[in-house]
Amino acid sequence: MSYVGKSITRIDAEAKVKGEALYPGDFNLPNQAYMKILFANRPHAIVKRIDTARAKALPGVLAIFTAKDVPVNEYGLIMPDQPVLCGPGSSKPYADRVRFIGDQVALVIAENEEIAAQARDLIEVEYEDLPVLTDVHQAMESTENLLHPDRGSNVFCHYRIRKGDTEAAFSQADVIVEGEYHTPVQEHAYLQPEAGIGYIDEEGRVTIVVAGQWTHEDRKQIAHALNLPEEQVRVIYPAIGGAFGGREDMSIQIVLALATWRLSQQGINRPVKIIWSREESIIGHHKRHPYHIYARWGATKEGKVIAAEVKLIADGGAYAYTSTKVLGNATLMCTGPYEIPNVKVDSYAVYTNSIPNGAFRGFGGPQGAFAAEMQMNKLAERLGMDPVELRLRNVLREGSLLSVGTPLPKGVSIAQVVENCAKRAGWKQTSNGWEFDREKHPSLKLQKSNLRRGIGFACSFKNVGFSFGAPEQCQATIELRGKGEIEEAVLYHAGAEVGQGVHTVLIQMAAEALGVPIEKVRLIASDTATSGDSGSVSASRMTFMAGNAIRGAAKLALERWRNEERPAVGHYQYRPPRTTPYDPETGKSEPNFAYGYVAEAVELEVDIETGQIRLLNVICADDVGQAVNPQLVQGQIEGAVVQAAGYAILENFVQQNGEVLTRGLSTYLIPTVLDIPDRVESLILEYPDPIGPFGARGMGEMPYLPLVPAVASALHDATGVWFNEFPLTPERVLFGLTKSEE
Amino acid sequence: MLPEFDLVMPRSLNEALQVLAAGSPEVLPIAGGTNLTVDMRSGRYEPKVVVDIEKLPELKGIRRENGQICVGGGVTIAELLKDGLVAETAPVLKSACALFANPLIRNRATVGGNLVDGSPAADTAPSLLALDAEIELTSQDGKRRLPLDEFFIHVRKTARQPNELVTALRWALPKPGTGSAFYKLGLRKADAISVVSVAVVLEAEKGVCRKARIALGSVAPRPVRAKNAEEFLTGKLLKKEVFEEAAALTAQAVSPISDVRASAEYRRRMSAVLTRRMLEQAAEQTGWKE
Repeated sequence: MSYVGKSITRIDAEAKVKGEALYPGDFNLPNQAYMKILFANRPHAIVKRIDTARAKALPGVLAIFTAKDVPVNEYGLIMPDQPVLCGPGSSKPYADRVRFIGDQVALVIAENEEIAAQARDLIEVEYEDLPVLTDVHQAMESTENLLHPDRGSNVFCHYRIRKGDTEAAFSQADVIVEGEYHTPVQEHAYLQPEAGIGYIDEEGRVTIVVAGQWTHEDRKQIAHALNLPEEQVRVIYPAIGGAFGGREDMSIQIVLALATWRLSQQGINRPVKIIWSREESIIGHHKRHPYHIYARWGATKEGKVIAAEVKLIADGGAYAYTSTKVLGNATLMCTGPYEIPNVKVDSYAVYTNSIPNGAFRGFGGPQGAFAAEMQMNKLAERLGMDPVELRLRNVLREGSLLSVGTPLPKGVSIAQVVENCAKRAGWKQTSNGWEFDREKHPSLKLQKSNLRRGIGFACSFKNVGFSFGAPEQCQATIELRGKGEIEEAVLYHAGAEVGQGVHTVLIQMAAEALGVPIEKVRLIASDTATSGDSGSVSASRMTFMAGNAIRGAAKLALERWRNEERPAVGHYQYRPPRTTPYDPETGKSEPNFAYGYVAEAVELEVDIETGQIRLLNVICADDVGQAVNPQLVQGQIEGAVVQAAGYAILENFVQQNGEVLTRGLSTYLIPTVLDIPDRVESLILEYPDPIGPFGARGMGEMPYLPLVPAVASALHDATGVWFNEFPLTPERVLFGLTKSEE
Repeated sequence: MLPEFDLVMPRSLNEALQVLAAGSPEVLPIAGGTNLTVDMRSGRYEPKVVVDIEKLPELKGIRRENGQICVGGGVTIAELLKDGLVAETAPVLKSACALFANPLIRNRATVGGNLVDGSPAADTAPSLLALDAEIELTSQDGKRRLPLDEFFIHVRKTARQPNELVTALRWALPKPGTGSAFYKLGLRKADAISVVSVAVVLEAEKGVCRKARIALGSVAPRPVRAKNAEEFLTGKLLKKEVFEEAAALTAQAVSPISDVRASAEYRRRMSAVLTRRMLEQAAEQTGWKE
């Protein structure tokens, strides 16, 4: 292949390195006004009254909008359970209450930011406080204190998996391991806080330039709330400063469009600009779900896992966001990439007054994988069996049945991925199976009396694309220009470049599919006015989905080119094999159409007197099917490992009774370059996916999944103590070690 | 957003002191501004007048002076970190500067600013306390010098009067047989506010401790010395059991709080662990082997 498989320089590199690339906050238009949002700043209350008189009277204030100005006052990616603005006069019931501190109450538009902020502080709001629920167990039981009274329960999603007979199987198990796990909240902490500019374009469309992950879905949600036809709304993404799932749900999109539109209705035709501060970003967008997971697994002494019972409770926070889908993933991933004949899973998503939780790289996978891999490593210890050997005796193979009673799509490579990773990390295949000889690894020897070193292993699988029956498609249009020969190939695609490099990959795949030099391919991207719906950049799906759409469009365009059409245009909508939702009783389903497979080995050092952990080496083996751009793949692996390392040992989002105590990056700490693992080795494996474009699988999330359990396993190897909760801050580690001594 | 203020840019120390002379809390000096601009944005301080002292020549320079090292209050952390005299005579301060915030902040933040902020976590404070540093405060009425230990009062409260500037810090040249060590335990390796920091300076003769200074950050409402442990060490042979005892005494001397970074209990335990380690390291440098 000429372009697929080559590490060409990403097309946006130069502009970004030089500071020339424009991010949403960089756009300025003549005569623009500024917007500030009044947040609730209280976790649970009914808004009794909003008085904007004093604020409106401030010179320089152009308009103030509240709930009564929102035509359809609801939104939500999966279910519309959140008011656009909370307050009286809403078009929807119960939209007069705030349910977390980041709920939005009023919009102030003024001549400049200072006046807007001043006016915001002059708005008088009368609240009637309601009891604050932050504990998921209490929220599950409560019948009186309901966040959404119209729903009748704080539990808003429940899945069941029933396969085989776990009770009978436990009675035949030689060892049973029970574990109770708790995973923490994580903040996306993308470089660029939410920002954007809204205006009415030359065709009269309400237009916003923002950062998001799915232009067409943003448009749909805006159109719904504004009660406008979708064609009257336009969404454009310029350069985007990171997303990681944190831009899948609405933050400023609807309110920016609303303010622009309402202003123009008042005859004020001025662009509106907003930039969130870091603090507004931290309280204003969702986080990674914290999970409580209770697991009970049984195995025979031959190392066959025969039963797994798991209960998962996800704290959804105040609104659903993508909780139901995240929970679906966690429900599937919590029994790992293993064939277990008897499985019983019950999972729940619950409303609380904490910040809503939603999409974040891995999408329920990391939480599920933590429980699954901890259970596997504990079983290995109890059985006296090597953890790699135990895995290889249980991993899913071609035709094996998942917990949901159906086989994986063809191209199952988890066994090869585990073997490759283990070999690289120093495991050997012997006549007794896979073994790791500690004596032969001097790097694991102690350096000082207070330091201990350990190695840990974990593996995982991650779906590619939307799951469980969610509508899935991706469109691409290719226009071939020229006369005798193709002079230019223009690719129209909506896929969002969030920093992962997808625009470069789209061009590589288009050049390959068309057989034209890559210099001739031009991309027009991320504008609902020029492209069809691509679906989101999430679920590790864009390379896979767009690649197939581009191949289809290229084929059509080339046919028309040969038929002498000028320009020759090919439009193609790719639809992957269909998936099906969980059966409500048994969970039986065909959950996904493609997967990636991953394994990681981690070496760490721990100071047993202070609890500080240093990650020495991470080996990450990923089956990506076909690396379209190996350097970008490596970037994704390293980025995911670093982000997961922050999740594992550092990032600590503190909420107390609905308040956020870590409202800035001085208290919510993410890794600096000095805190990342000393070494990350990316082992890129290419076992083609039978239906992936050029054999490619999606891979942006999977390196994230096994890191935390691999770290916890290495920590156990170093100290003999299992940590079932993280982040593994020095304090948690030290007190965990001390407790185990007592 | 920064509130509005008048910026005064004096050309000399005298001019600056004149502007400050009325002693109004609404007139604040600014050097690197790494604390003040943050505090002004958050609304903690709302000065009407800000006096830029960053470039005043009288606040610059690192020199030997009458058997002492003298550092101007306006010397930046980056300057301290690069200075040969500091490296030679006060490695304990150099170590602290190396862990101070990040390189960008170190280029702007000054040692005087770090101290007048009155933060219990001020990164240079433990080392300067352990060096027995003296702080020089200057106003239009003249200069006064006081031991740094008497300068810190409480969280964000120091002995500095609104009409005074920190013009210099001084400490004695190290005697032969001096050893020192510094450690900052933060939740990450750069750009982190310390959870506990410990600076130790020991003077020893043939393994017997002549003078000990142990100072800690982030474990009390101000940077503190563990004077009970210092006294205990004086006259003792430097050895493991003695260090253990001194570390235990240090843990008694601190009064940490629980906050978003760590619990009081963890801080107390780390005070002991890190003090013991720093004593061991400092003792090794005195040239004495057990």
